[in-house]
Amino acid sequence: MNPRIHHRNAAPVKMKKKVKEEKNEYELCKVCKINHNLGRRHNFYPNHIKSLSSFLSRFQTKLSDVRFFLKNPTILLPEHAARNRLWCVFCDFELDEIDSSFACANAINHLASADHLKSVKDFLWRYGGGMDRIDSFRIVELDLAKWEKKCKLLNEAANNGSQRLLTGPVNDIHNELNSENFYNCDRNTIHNLNSSFTNGVVPLQNHTLEEYQVSGIAEFDGHVHGANSCTSTSSGTQFGYMDNQHASILNGRIGSHPNGGMKQVIQHERTNGERSFQGLQKLHRVPSIAGDNATGNVHSGGPPPWFSSTDKNLPNDKQRSGKSSKLNPKRVGAAWAERRKMEMEMEKRGEIVTTKFDSSWLPDFGRVWQSGSRKESKKEFQVEINTSHKDESQAVTPAELQPYVSIRQVSSNSHLMAPSAATYPILKKDILILPKFGEYMLIFM
Amino acid sequence: MSYLLRTLKKKEEVDTLIRDTIDKVLVLRFGTSTDSVSLLLDDVLSKSERDVSKFASIALVDVDSEDVQVYVKYFDITFIPSTVFFFNAHHMKMDSGSADHTKWVGAFHCKQDFIDVVEEIYRGAMKGKLIVNCPLPPERIPKFQLLYKDV
Repeated sequence: MNPRIHHRNAAPVKMKKKVKEEKNEYELCKVCKINHNLGRRHNFYPNHIKSLSSFLSRFQTKLSDVRFFLKNPTILLPEHAARNRLWCVFCDFELDEIDSSFACANAINHLASADHLKSVKDFLWRYGGGMDRIDSFRIVELDLAKWEKKCKLLNEAANNGSQRLLTGPVNDIHNELNSENFYNCDRNTIHNLNSSFTNGVVPLQNHTLEEYQVSGIAEFDGHVHGANSCTSTSSGTQFGYMDNQHASILNGRIGSHPNGGMKQVIQHERTNGERSFQGLQKLHRVPSIAGDNATGNVHSGGPPPWFSSTDKNLPNDKQRSGKSSKLNPKRVGAAWAERRKMEMEMEKRGEIVTTKFDSSWLPDFGRVWQSGSRKESKKEFQVEINTSHKDESQAVTPAELQPYVSIRQVSSNSHLMAPSAATYPILKKDILILPKFGEYMLIFM
Repeated sequence: MSYLLRTLKKKEEVDTLIRDTIDKVLVLRFGTSTDSVSLLLDDVLSKSERDVSKFASIALVDVDSEDVQVYVKYFDITFIPSTVFFFNAHHMKMDSGSADHTKWVGAFHCKQDFIDVVEEIYRGAMKGKLIVNCPLPPERIPKFQLLYKDV
Protein backbone atom coordinates (compact mmCIF):
# COMPACT_ATOMS: atom_id res chain seq x y z
CA MET A 1 0.00 0.00 0.00
CA ASN A 2 1.27 3.41 -0.89
CA PRO A 3 2.07 5.05 2.40
CA ARG A 4 1.20 8.47 1.06
CA ILE A 5 -2.35 7.51 0.17
CA HIS A 6 -2.70 5.93 3.52
CA HIS A 7 -1.73 9.13 5.22
CA ARG A 8 -4.14 11.21 3.19
CA ASN A 9 -6.93 9.15 4.49
CA ALA A 10 -5.67 9.07 8.01
CA ALA A 11 -6.84 11.30 10.78
CA PRO A 12 -5.15 14.72 11.17
CA VAL A 13 -3.55 13.56 14.39
CA LYS A 14 -1.75 10.81 12.56
CA MET A 15 -0.68 13.19 9.81
CA LYS A 16 0.76 15.48 12.42
CA LYS A 17 2.55 12.53 13.88
CA LYS A 18 3.88 11.68 10.45
CA VAL A 19 5.05 15.25 10.00
CA LYS A 20 6.63 15.08 13.42
CA GLU A 21 8.22 11.80 12.52
CA GLU A 22 9.55 13.28 9.31
CA LYS A 23 10.89 16.11 11.30
CA ASN A 24 12.62 13.76 13.65
CA GLU A 25 14.18 11.54 11.00
CA TYR A 26 17.72 12.50 10.46
CA GLU A 27 19.36 12.04 7.13
CA LEU A 28 22.82 12.74 5.86
CA CYS A 29 23.33 15.41 3.25
CA LYS A 30 26.31 14.19 1.22
CA VAL A 31 26.93 17.64 -0.09
CA CYS A 32 27.00 19.55 3.18
CA LYS A 33 28.21 16.51 5.12
CA ILE A 34 25.76 17.11 7.92
CA ASN A 35 22.92 15.19 9.45
CA HIS A 36 19.65 17.10 9.44
CA ASN A 37 16.03 16.51 10.03
CA LEU A 38 14.76 19.26 7.79
CA GLY A 39 13.76 16.97 4.96
CA ARG A 40 13.45 18.53 1.55
CA ARG A 41 13.61 22.03 2.94
CA HIS A 42 17.32 21.59 3.49
CA ASN A 43 17.93 21.78 -0.26
CA PHE A 44 16.81 25.38 -0.39
CA TYR A 45 19.02 26.62 2.39
CA PRO A 46 21.75 28.99 1.13
CA ASN A 47 24.53 26.96 2.75
CA HIS A 48 23.38 23.87 0.96
CA ILE A 49 23.14 25.67 -2.35
CA LYS A 50 26.64 27.00 -1.89
CA SER A 51 28.07 23.62 -0.91
CA LEU A 52 26.28 21.96 -3.79
CA SER A 53 27.65 24.36 -6.37
CA SER A 54 31.22 23.92 -5.11
CA PHE A 55 30.74 20.16 -4.89
CA LEU A 56 29.53 19.90 -8.44
CA SER A 57 32.11 22.31 -9.81
CA ARG A 58 34.86 20.25 -8.23
CA PHE A 59 33.58 17.14 -9.89
CA GLN A 60 33.26 19.01 -13.17
CA THR A 61 36.94 19.92 -13.15
CA LYS A 62 37.81 16.27 -12.73
CA LEU A 63 35.42 15.37 -15.47
CA SER A 64 37.05 17.91 -17.77
CA ASP A 65 40.24 15.84 -17.65
CA VAL A 66 38.26 12.77 -18.62
CA ARG A 67 36.58 14.70 -21.43
CA PHE A 68 39.96 15.65 -22.76
CA PHE A 69 40.89 12.03 -23.11
CA LEU A 70 37.50 11.40 -24.61
CA LYS A 71 38.39 13.75 -27.42
CA ASN A 72 42.04 12.71 -27.61
CA PRO A 73 42.38 9.07 -26.79
CA THR A 74 45.83 8.07 -25.69
CA ILE A 75 47.36 4.76 -24.95
CA LEU A 76 47.79 4.22 -21.27
CA LEU A 77 51.05 2.82 -19.94
CA PRO A 78 50.92 0.58 -16.86
CA GLU A 79 53.26 2.80 -14.94
CA HIS A 80 50.86 5.67 -15.28
CA ALA A 81 47.74 3.67 -14.65
CA ALA A 82 47.96 4.37 -10.95
CA ARG A 83 47.68 8.08 -11.57
CA ASN A 84 44.44 7.91 -13.49
CA ARG A 85 41.90 7.43 -10.75
CA LEU A 86 38.54 9.03 -10.36
CA TRP A 87 35.97 8.81 -7.62
CA CYS A 88 32.47 9.02 -8.98
CA VAL A 89 30.57 11.04 -6.39
CA PHE A 90 27.20 10.04 -7.78
CA CYS A 91 27.78 6.32 -7.65
CA ASP A 92 30.26 6.33 -4.73
CA PHE A 93 32.53 4.21 -6.81
CA GLU A 94 36.25 4.39 -7.51
CA LEU A 95 37.26 4.20 -11.15
CA ASP A 96 40.79 3.05 -11.59
CA GLU A 97 42.57 2.31 -14.79
CA ILE A 98 44.61 -0.68 -13.86
CA ASP A 99 43.35 -2.94 -16.60
CA SER A 100 42.61 -0.41 -19.27
CA SER A 101 44.68 0.13 -22.36
CA PHE A 102 43.60 3.71 -22.97
CA ALA A 103 43.72 6.66 -20.64
CA CYS A 104 40.50 7.06 -18.62
CA ALA A 105 38.92 4.18 -20.50
CA ASN A 106 37.19 2.79 -17.42
CA ALA A 107 36.03 6.23 -16.40
CA ILE A 108 34.64 6.96 -19.85
CA ASN A 109 32.83 3.66 -19.97
CA HIS A 110 31.38 4.21 -16.53
CA LEU A 111 30.27 7.75 -17.24
CA ALA A 112 28.49 6.55 -20.35
CA SER A 113 26.76 3.68 -18.57
CA ALA A 114 23.12 3.55 -17.66
CA ASP A 115 23.80 2.94 -13.97
CA HIS A 116 25.73 6.16 -13.73
CA LEU A 117 22.96 8.06 -15.46
CA LYS A 118 20.50 6.66 -12.95
CA SER A 119 22.76 7.67 -10.02
CA VAL A 120 23.16 11.19 -11.43
CA LYS A 121 19.44 11.60 -11.77
CA ASP A 122 18.88 10.31 -8.28
CA PHE A 123 21.54 12.61 -6.83
CA LEU A 124 20.24 15.71 -8.55
CA TRP A 125 16.71 14.94 -7.52
CA ARG A 126 17.71 14.34 -3.96
CA TYR A 127 20.02 17.32 -3.53
CA GLY A 128 18.40 19.72 -5.95
CA GLY A 129 21.15 20.31 -8.47
CA GLY A 130 18.93 21.03 -11.44
CA MET A 131 17.78 18.14 -13.63
CA ASP A 132 18.81 19.98 -16.78
CA ARG A 133 22.45 19.48 -15.94
CA ILE A 134 22.43 15.74 -16.17
CA ASP A 135 24.35 15.65 -19.44
CA SER A 136 27.19 17.66 -17.99
CA PHE A 137 27.91 14.84 -15.56
CA ARG A 138 27.81 12.00 -18.00
CA ILE A 139 29.08 11.02 -21.40
CA VAL A 140 26.54 10.68 -24.16
CA GLU A 141 26.46 7.68 -26.45
CA LEU A 142 27.54 9.69 -29.45
CA ASP A 143 30.74 10.82 -27.80
CA LEU A 144 31.41 7.33 -26.57
CA ALA A 145 31.07 5.95 -30.08
CA LYS A 146 33.48 8.55 -31.44
CA TRP A 147 35.96 7.75 -28.73
CA GLU A 148 35.79 4.05 -29.41
CA LYS A 149 36.40 4.68 -33.07
CA LYS A 150 39.47 6.76 -32.34
CA CYS A 151 40.80 4.09 -30.01
CA LYS A 152 40.44 1.51 -32.73
CA LEU A 153 42.32 3.70 -35.14
CA LEU A 154 45.03 4.19 -32.59
CA ASN A 155 45.40 0.51 -32.05
CA GLU A 156 45.52 -0.20 -35.74
CA ALA A 157 48.06 2.50 -36.33
CA ALA A 158 50.22 1.18 -33.58
CA ASN A 159 50.01 -2.36 -34.87
CA ASN A 160 50.51 -1.50 -38.50
CA GLY A 161 53.60 0.56 -37.97
CA SER A 162 56.99 -1.00 -37.52
CA GLN A 163 56.94 -0.06 -33.93
CA ARG A 164 55.10 -1.92 -31.30
CA LEU A 165 54.10 -0.86 -27.90
CA LEU A 166 55.98 -2.83 -25.37
CA THR A 167 54.31 -3.54 -22.17
CA GLY A 168 57.13 -5.35 -20.50
CA PRO A 169 58.72 -4.34 -17.24
CA VAL A 170 60.25 -0.94 -17.09
CA ASN A 171 64.02 -0.74 -16.67
CA ASP A 172 64.73 -4.34 -17.34
CA ILE A 173 68.20 -4.22 -15.88
CA HIS A 174 68.61 -7.93 -15.92
CA ASN A 175 68.95 -7.91 -19.68
CA GLU A 176 72.48 -6.74 -19.71
CA LEU A 177 73.22 -7.99 -23.19
CA ASN A 178 70.47 -5.88 -24.57
CA SER A 179 71.68 -2.85 -22.78
CA GLU A 180 75.13 -3.27 -24.19
CA ASN A 181 73.73 -3.46 -27.66
CA PHE A 182 71.64 -0.46 -27.07
CA TYR A 183 74.51 1.74 -26.00
CA ASN A 184 76.63 0.57 -28.84
CA CYS A 185 74.25 1.68 -31.50
CA ASP A 186 73.97 5.31 -30.81
CA ARG A 187 76.11 7.46 -32.95
CA ASN A 188 74.93 6.28 -36.32
CA THR A 189 71.44 7.54 -36.01
CA ILE A 190 72.04 10.95 -34.53
CA HIS A 191 73.20 12.47 -37.79
CA ASN A 192 69.91 11.68 -39.39
CA LEU A 193 68.01 13.37 -36.70
CA ASN A 194 69.51 16.79 -36.81
CA SER A 195 68.06 17.69 -40.14
CA SER A 196 64.58 16.95 -39.05
CA PHE A 197 64.38 19.49 -36.25
CA THR A 198 63.06 22.85 -36.94
CA ASN A 199 62.95 24.39 -33.50
CA GLY A 200 66.71 24.40 -32.98
CA VAL A 201 66.88 21.97 -30.08
CA VAL A 202 69.80 19.65 -30.55
CA PRO A 203 69.85 16.29 -28.85
CA LEU A 204 72.71 14.89 -26.92
CA GLN A 205 75.42 13.52 -29.14
CA ASN A 206 76.46 10.91 -26.67
CA HIS A 207 74.33 8.65 -24.66
CA THR A 208 74.50 8.73 -20.96
CA LEU A 209 74.42 5.60 -18.91
CA GLU A 210 71.31 6.58 -17.00
CA GLU A 211 69.03 7.70 -19.73
CA TYR A 212 68.79 8.28 -23.34
CA GLN A 213 67.69 11.62 -24.52
CA VAL A 214 66.13 11.62 -27.87
CA SER A 215 65.30 13.93 -30.52
CA GLY A 216 63.54 17.12 -29.99
CA ILE A 217 60.04 18.07 -29.19
CA ALA A 218 57.42 18.82 -31.73
CA GLU A 219 54.08 20.40 -31.25
CA PHE A 220 51.14 18.15 -31.33
CA ASP A 221 47.95 19.43 -32.71
CA GLY A 222 45.77 16.68 -31.50
CA HIS A 223 46.24 14.16 -34.18
CA VAL A 224 47.73 10.79 -33.71
CA HIS A 225 50.30 9.65 -36.19
CA GLY A 226 52.43 6.64 -36.59
CA ALA A 227 56.08 6.83 -35.89
CA ASN A 228 58.81 6.49 -38.41
CA SER A 229 61.87 4.45 -37.95
CA CYS A 230 65.32 5.33 -38.94
CA THR A 231 67.85 3.22 -40.67
CA SER A 232 69.03 0.30 -38.72
CA THR A 233 72.48 0.05 -37.31
CA SER A 234 75.02 -2.59 -37.79
CA SER A 235 73.86 -4.51 -34.77
CA GLY A 236 70.40 -4.85 -36.20
CA THR A 237 68.56 -2.77 -33.67
CA GLN A 238 66.28 0.02 -34.61
CA PHE A 239 65.46 3.27 -32.99
CA GLY A 240 62.34 5.22 -33.37
CA TYR A 241 62.45 8.90 -33.73
CA MET A 242 59.92 11.53 -34.33
CA ASP A 243 59.97 14.46 -36.51
CA ASN A 244 57.77 17.35 -36.10
CA GLN A 245 55.06 15.95 -38.25
CA HIS A 246 54.73 12.44 -37.00
CA ALA A 247 54.49 11.42 -33.45
CA SER A 248 53.02 8.84 -31.23
CA ILE A 249 51.67 9.74 -27.93
CA LEU A 250 52.61 7.24 -25.36
CA ASN A 251 51.84 8.89 -22.18
CA GLY A 252 49.18 11.06 -20.71
CA ARG A 253 49.21 14.75 -20.67
CA ILE A 254 52.59 16.17 -19.93
CA GLY A 255 51.90 19.77 -20.47
CA SER A 256 49.44 21.79 -22.39
CA HIS A 257 49.55 25.00 -24.34
CA PRO A 258 46.87 27.53 -24.25
CA ASN A 259 45.93 26.67 -27.79
CA GLY A 260 45.33 23.08 -26.77
CA GLY A 261 48.53 21.57 -28.14
CA MET A 262 50.55 19.03 -26.32
CA LYS A 263 54.15 18.06 -26.00
CA GLN A 264 55.11 14.72 -27.35
CA VAL A 265 56.60 11.82 -25.62
CA ILE A 266 59.24 10.04 -27.52
CA GLN A 267 59.55 6.35 -27.22
CA HIS A 268 62.47 4.17 -27.79
CA GLU A 269 61.64 0.85 -29.15
CA ARG A 270 63.30 -2.18 -30.37
CA THR A 271 61.99 -4.42 -33.00
CA ASN A 272 63.48 -7.35 -31.21
CA GLY A 273 61.32 -6.48 -28.25
CA GLU A 274 63.87 -7.46 -25.65
CA ARG A 275 64.42 -4.07 -24.20
CA SER A 276 61.78 -1.70 -23.03
CA PHE A 277 62.35 1.98 -22.76
CA GLN A 278 58.98 3.24 -22.12
CA GLY A 279 57.74 6.74 -21.89
CA LEU A 280 61.03 8.53 -21.44
CA GLN A 281 59.93 12.06 -21.47
CA LYS A 282 61.81 14.70 -23.25
CA LEU A 283 62.05 17.71 -21.10
CA HIS A 284 61.81 21.11 -22.54
CA ARG A 285 65.17 22.81 -22.49
CA VAL A 286 65.37 26.27 -21.04
CA PRO A 287 67.29 28.60 -23.33
CA SER A 288 70.53 29.57 -21.67
CA ILE A 289 71.33 33.23 -21.22
CA ALA A 290 74.87 34.36 -21.98
CA GLY A 291 75.39 36.29 -18.79
CA ASP A 292 74.61 33.41 -16.50
CA ASN A 293 78.10 32.02 -16.32
CA ALA A 294 79.56 35.17 -14.86
CA THR A 295 77.50 35.02 -11.70
CA GLY A 296 77.81 31.28 -11.30
CA ASN A 297 75.23 28.75 -10.28
CA VAL A 298 74.63 26.05 -7.73
CA HIS A 299 77.25 23.77 -9.25
CA SER A 300 79.95 26.34 -9.67
CA GLY A 301 79.39 27.65 -6.17
CA GLY A 302 78.06 31.04 -7.09
CA PRO A 303 76.09 33.15 -4.65
CA PRO A 304 72.35 32.64 -4.53
CA PRO A 305 70.29 35.50 -5.97
CA TRP A 306 68.86 36.44 -2.60
CA PHE A 307 72.32 37.10 -1.18
CA SER A 308 73.16 39.58 -3.84
CA SER A 309 75.10 42.82 -3.64
CA THR A 310 74.66 45.77 -1.29
CA ASP A 311 72.59 47.55 -3.91
CA LYS A 312 69.78 45.25 -3.12
CA ASN A 313 70.05 45.85 0.60
CA LEU A 314 68.96 49.42 0.29
CA PRO A 315 65.40 48.57 -0.63
CA ASN A 316 65.35 46.31 2.40
CA ASP A 317 66.26 49.23 4.61
CA LYS A 318 63.55 51.22 2.97
CA GLN A 319 61.18 48.39 3.56
CA ARG A 320 62.21 48.24 7.20
CA SER A 321 61.74 51.94 7.70
CA GLY A 322 58.48 51.61 5.86
CA LYS A 323 57.46 48.91 8.26
CA SER A 324 58.26 51.07 11.27
CA SER A 325 56.24 53.87 9.85
CA LYS A 326 53.40 51.44 9.58
CA LEU A 327 53.50 50.87 13.33
CA ASN A 328 50.82 52.73 15.13
CA PRO A 329 52.11 56.22 15.89
CA LYS A 330 49.82 56.28 18.91
CA ARG A 331 51.44 53.27 20.51
CA VAL A 332 52.98 53.59 23.95
CA GLY A 333 56.31 55.38 23.88
CA ALA A 334 56.22 55.95 20.12
CA ALA A 335 58.10 59.22 20.21
CA TRP A 336 60.69 57.83 22.55
CA ALA A 337 61.10 54.73 20.38
CA GLU A 338 61.67 56.74 17.22
CA ARG A 339 64.19 58.95 18.94
CA ARG A 340 66.02 55.99 20.40
CA LYS A 341 66.11 54.20 17.05
CA MET A 342 67.67 57.23 15.42
CA GLU A 343 70.24 57.44 18.20
CA MET A 344 71.10 53.78 17.88
CA GLU A 345 71.50 54.01 14.13
CA MET A 346 73.75 57.02 14.50
CA GLU A 347 75.76 55.23 17.14
CA LYS A 348 76.14 52.24 14.82
CA ARG A 349 77.35 54.48 12.04
CA GLY A 350 79.68 56.13 14.49
CA GLU A 351 78.29 59.61 14.08
CA ILE A 352 77.72 60.10 17.77
CA VAL A 353 79.47 58.63 20.74
CA THR A 354 77.47 56.25 22.84
CA THR A 355 76.03 58.41 25.54
CA LYS A 356 76.24 57.01 29.01
CA PHE A 357 73.07 57.76 30.73
CA ASP A 358 72.95 59.11 34.23
CA SER A 359 73.17 56.43 36.87
CA SER A 360 70.16 57.93 38.54
CA TRP A 361 68.01 57.46 35.44
CA LEU A 362 64.78 55.68 36.14
CA PRO A 363 62.11 54.50 33.73
CA ASP A 364 58.61 55.77 33.73
CA PHE A 365 56.87 53.73 36.42
CA GLY A 366 53.46 53.99 37.99
CA ARG A 367 53.90 53.03 41.59
CA VAL A 368 51.44 51.04 43.60
CA TRP A 369 50.37 53.74 46.01
CA GLN A 370 50.81 56.63 43.66
CA SER A 371 48.57 59.57 43.50
CA GLY A 372 48.99 61.81 40.52
CA SER A 373 50.99 61.27 37.39
CA ARG A 374 53.95 58.98 36.93
CA LYS A 375 56.34 61.88 36.90
CA GLU A 376 55.16 62.81 40.34
CA SER A 377 55.68 59.32 41.59
CA LYS A 378 59.19 59.39 40.14
CA LYS A 379 59.91 62.66 41.91
CA GLU A 380 58.46 61.30 45.09
CA PHE A 381 60.73 58.31 44.89
CA GLN A 382 63.74 60.46 44.21
CA VAL A 383 62.91 62.57 47.23
CA GLU A 384 62.63 59.43 49.33
CA ILE A 385 65.97 58.26 48.07
CA ASN A 386 67.59 61.59 48.86
CA THR A 387 66.20 61.71 52.36
CA SER A 388 67.34 58.22 53.05
CA HIS A 389 70.82 59.18 51.88
CA LYS A 390 70.86 62.18 54.10
CA ASP A 391 69.82 60.14 57.04
CA GLU A 392 72.64 57.75 56.46
CA SER A 393 75.23 60.48 56.19
CA GLN A 394 74.38 62.06 59.51
CA ALA A 395 76.03 61.19 62.91
CA VAL A 396 75.43 57.89 64.45
CA THR A 397 74.47 58.98 67.97
CA PRO A 398 71.58 61.27 68.00
CA ALA A 399 71.03 63.75 70.83
CA GLU A 400 68.78 62.54 73.56
CA LEU A 401 65.86 64.65 74.35
CA GLN A 402 65.67 65.75 77.94
CA PRO A 403 62.80 67.34 79.73
CA TYR A 404 63.16 70.87 80.92
CA VAL A 405 63.46 71.17 84.64
CA SER A 406 63.41 74.63 86.17
CA ILE A 407 65.63 75.70 89.07
CA ARG A 408 62.76 75.98 91.45
CA GLN A 409 61.65 72.49 90.60
CA VAL A 410 65.09 71.25 91.17
CA SER A 411 65.43 72.96 94.47
CA SER A 412 62.11 71.82 95.74
CA ASN A 413 62.83 68.29 94.69
CA SER A 414 66.40 68.22 95.73
CA HIS A 415 65.72 65.79 98.52
CA LEU A 416 64.10 63.36 96.19
CA MET A 417 66.03 60.67 94.45
CA ALA A 418 66.99 61.36 90.91
CA PRO A 419 65.18 59.33 88.28
CA SER A 420 66.97 56.72 86.20
CA ALA A 421 66.84 58.90 83.18
CA ALA A 422 69.45 61.51 83.21
CA THR A 423 68.38 65.02 83.93
CA TYR A 424 70.46 67.93 83.16
CA PRO A 425 68.92 70.83 84.93
CA ILE A 426 69.84 74.11 83.63
CA LEU A 427 72.04 75.54 86.35
CA LYS A 428 74.48 78.33 86.80
CA LYS A 429 77.82 78.12 85.33
CA ASP A 430 79.67 77.02 88.36
CA ILE A 431 77.52 74.01 89.11
CA LEU A 432 78.96 70.69 88.29
CA ILE A 433 77.13 68.37 86.10
CA LEU A 434 77.35 64.90 87.38
CA PRO A 435 77.17 61.73 85.44
CA LYS A 436 73.81 60.44 84.46
CA PHE A 437 73.70 56.95 85.82
CA GLY A 438 72.70 56.19 89.32
CA GLU A 439 72.25 58.71 92.03
CA TYR A 440 73.55 62.04 91.65
CA MET A 441 73.81 64.96 93.87
CA LEU A 442 73.54 68.46 92.94
CA ILE A 443 76.22 70.47 94.33
CA PHE A 444 75.48 74.03 94.56
CA MET A 445 78.32 76.26 94.88
CA MET B 1 68.20 29.70 35.31
CA SER B 2 70.95 32.06 34.28
CA TYR B 3 72.07 29.60 31.65
CA LEU B 4 68.76 29.86 29.85
CA LEU B 5 67.77 33.46 30.28
CA ARG B 6 69.66 36.71 30.63
CA THR B 7 70.29 37.51 34.29
CA LEU B 8 70.94 41.11 35.27
CA LYS B 9 72.72 42.08 38.44
CA LYS B 10 73.51 45.74 37.89
CA LYS B 11 71.33 48.77 37.52
CA GLU B 12 73.26 49.80 34.42
CA GLU B 13 72.40 46.54 32.71
CA VAL B 14 68.75 46.94 33.55
CA ASP B 15 68.78 50.51 32.29
CA THR B 16 70.45 49.52 29.04
CA LEU B 17 67.99 46.77 28.45
CA ILE B 18 64.99 48.97 29.16
CA ARG B 19 66.28 51.67 26.86
CA ASP B 20 67.34 49.38 24.03
CA THR B 21 64.21 47.28 23.82
CA ILE B 22 62.22 49.10 21.19
CA ASP B 23 58.69 48.21 20.08
CA LYS B 24 58.79 44.99 22.04
CA VAL B 25 57.49 44.12 25.47
CA LEU B 26 60.26 43.78 28.04
CA VAL B 27 59.54 41.24 30.74
CA LEU B 28 61.66 41.72 33.85
CA ARG B 29 61.41 39.01 36.44
CA PHE B 30 62.56 40.06 39.90
CA GLY B 31 63.46 37.07 41.97
CA THR B 32 66.24 34.82 43.10
CA SER B 33 67.72 31.67 41.75
CA THR B 34 67.15 29.90 45.03
CA ASP B 35 63.47 30.52 45.52
CA SER B 36 61.29 27.65 44.30
CA VAL B 37 58.48 29.81 42.91
CA SER B 38 61.03 31.94 41.05
CA LEU B 39 62.45 28.80 39.53
CA LEU B 40 59.00 27.66 38.52
CA LEU B 41 58.38 31.00 36.85
CA ASP B 42 61.79 30.90 35.19
CA ASP B 43 60.99 27.51 33.74
CA VAL B 44 57.83 28.87 32.13
CA LEU B 45 59.68 31.95 30.89
CA SER B 46 62.53 30.02 29.36
CA LYS B 47 60.19 27.68 27.54
CA SER B 48 58.07 30.48 26.15
CA GLU B 49 60.93 32.78 25.27
CA ARG B 50 61.15 31.60 21.70
CA ASP B 51 57.43 31.72 21.16
CA VAL B 52 57.19 35.35 22.17
CA SER B 53 60.54 36.39 20.75
CA LYS B 54 58.96 38.41 17.97
CA PHE B 55 57.17 40.76 20.29
CA ALA B 56 58.78 40.33 23.69
CA SER B 57 62.16 40.04 25.39
CA ILE B 58 62.68 38.40 28.75
CA ALA B 59 65.31 39.04 31.39
CA LEU B 60 65.81 38.02 35.01
CA VAL B 61 66.87 40.46 37.70
CA ASP B 62 68.46 39.14 40.84
CA VAL B 63 66.95 40.92 43.84
CA ASP B 64 69.83 39.86 46.06
CA SER B 65 72.18 42.06 44.11
CA GLU B 66 72.88 45.34 45.87
CA ASP B 67 73.08 47.40 42.76
CA VAL B 68 69.54 46.54 41.90
CA GLN B 69 68.02 47.50 45.23
CA VAL B 70 67.03 50.90 43.93
CA TYR B 71 64.77 49.17 41.45
CA VAL B 72 63.44 46.88 44.12
CA LYS B 73 62.36 49.95 46.03
CA TYR B 74 61.21 51.88 43.03
CA PHE B 75 59.03 49.08 41.77
CA ASP B 76 57.76 48.36 45.31
CA ILE B 77 58.79 44.75 45.10
CA THR B 78 57.77 43.01 48.27
CA PHE B 79 56.99 39.51 47.04
CA ILE B 80 59.15 37.41 44.82
CA PRO B 81 58.95 36.53 42.09
CA SER B 82 57.51 39.73 40.68
CA THR B 83 57.36 40.43 36.98
CA VAL B 84 57.30 43.95 35.63
CA PHE B 85 56.41 44.74 32.02
CA PHE B 86 57.80 47.58 29.93
CA PHE B 87 57.15 48.82 26.43
CA ASN B 88 59.44 51.46 24.93
CA ALA B 89 60.75 52.31 28.39
CA HIS B 90 57.24 52.88 29.64
CA HIS B 91 55.82 50.76 32.39
CA MET B 92 52.78 48.70 31.45
CA LYS B 93 50.20 47.90 34.08
CA MET B 94 47.82 44.98 34.08
CA ASP B 95 44.58 44.77 36.00
CA SER B 96 44.40 41.15 37.07
CA GLY B 97 41.87 41.69 39.82
CA SER B 98 44.53 41.94 42.51
CA ALA B 99 45.43 45.05 44.45
CA ASP B 100 48.70 45.57 42.61
CA HIS B 101 48.35 46.44 38.95
CA THR B 102 51.94 47.43 38.49
CA LYS B 103 53.40 43.95 38.37
CA TRP B 104 52.61 40.28 38.16
CA VAL B 105 53.26 38.58 41.47
CA GLY B 106 53.89 34.87 41.48
CA ALA B 107 54.34 32.27 38.77
CA PHE B 108 52.19 31.25 35.81
CA HIS B 109 50.30 27.98 35.63
CA CYS B 110 51.45 27.20 32.12
CA LYS B 111 53.28 28.62 29.14
CA GLN B 112 50.08 29.62 27.44
CA ASP B 113 49.02 31.80 30.34
CA PHE B 114 52.25 33.73 30.14
CA ILE B 115 52.00 34.06 26.37
CA ASP B 116 48.43 35.30 26.68
CA VAL B 117 49.43 37.92 29.24
CA VAL B 118 52.34 39.16 27.16
CA GLU B 119 50.20 39.25 24.06
CA GLU B 120 47.56 41.28 25.85
CA ILE B 121 50.16 43.75 27.01
CA TYR B 122 51.63 44.02 23.52
CA ARG B 123 48.27 44.60 21.95
CA GLY B 124 47.36 47.21 24.52
CA ALA B 125 50.71 48.95 24.11
CA MET B 126 50.37 49.06 20.34
CA LYS B 127 47.02 50.74 20.80
CA GLY B 128 48.44 53.27 23.20
CA LYS B 129 47.07 51.84 26.43
CA LEU B 130 49.19 51.96 29.55
CA ILE B 131 46.98 49.57 31.48
CA VAL B 132 45.37 46.41 30.14
CA ASN B 133 43.00 43.81 31.49
CA CYS B 134 44.22 40.36 32.33
CA PRO B 135 42.93 37.71 29.91
CA LEU B 136 43.28 34.89 32.43
CA PRO B 137 40.44 33.59 34.58
CA PRO B 138 40.68 34.47 38.29
CA GLU B 139 41.47 30.95 39.38
CA ARG B 140 44.74 31.05 37.47
CA ILE B 141 45.92 34.32 38.95
CA PRO B 142 48.10 33.97 42.06
CA LYS B 143 46.62 35.65 45.11
CA PHE B 144 48.52 37.69 47.66
CA GLN B 145 47.89 40.25 50.39
CA LEU B 146 49.24 43.71 49.77
CA LEU B 147 50.26 45.63 52.88
CA TYR B 148 50.66 49.35 53.09
CA LYS B 149 53.69 50.18 55.17
CA ASP B 150 53.27 46.95 57.10
CA VAL B 151 49.73 47.76 58.13
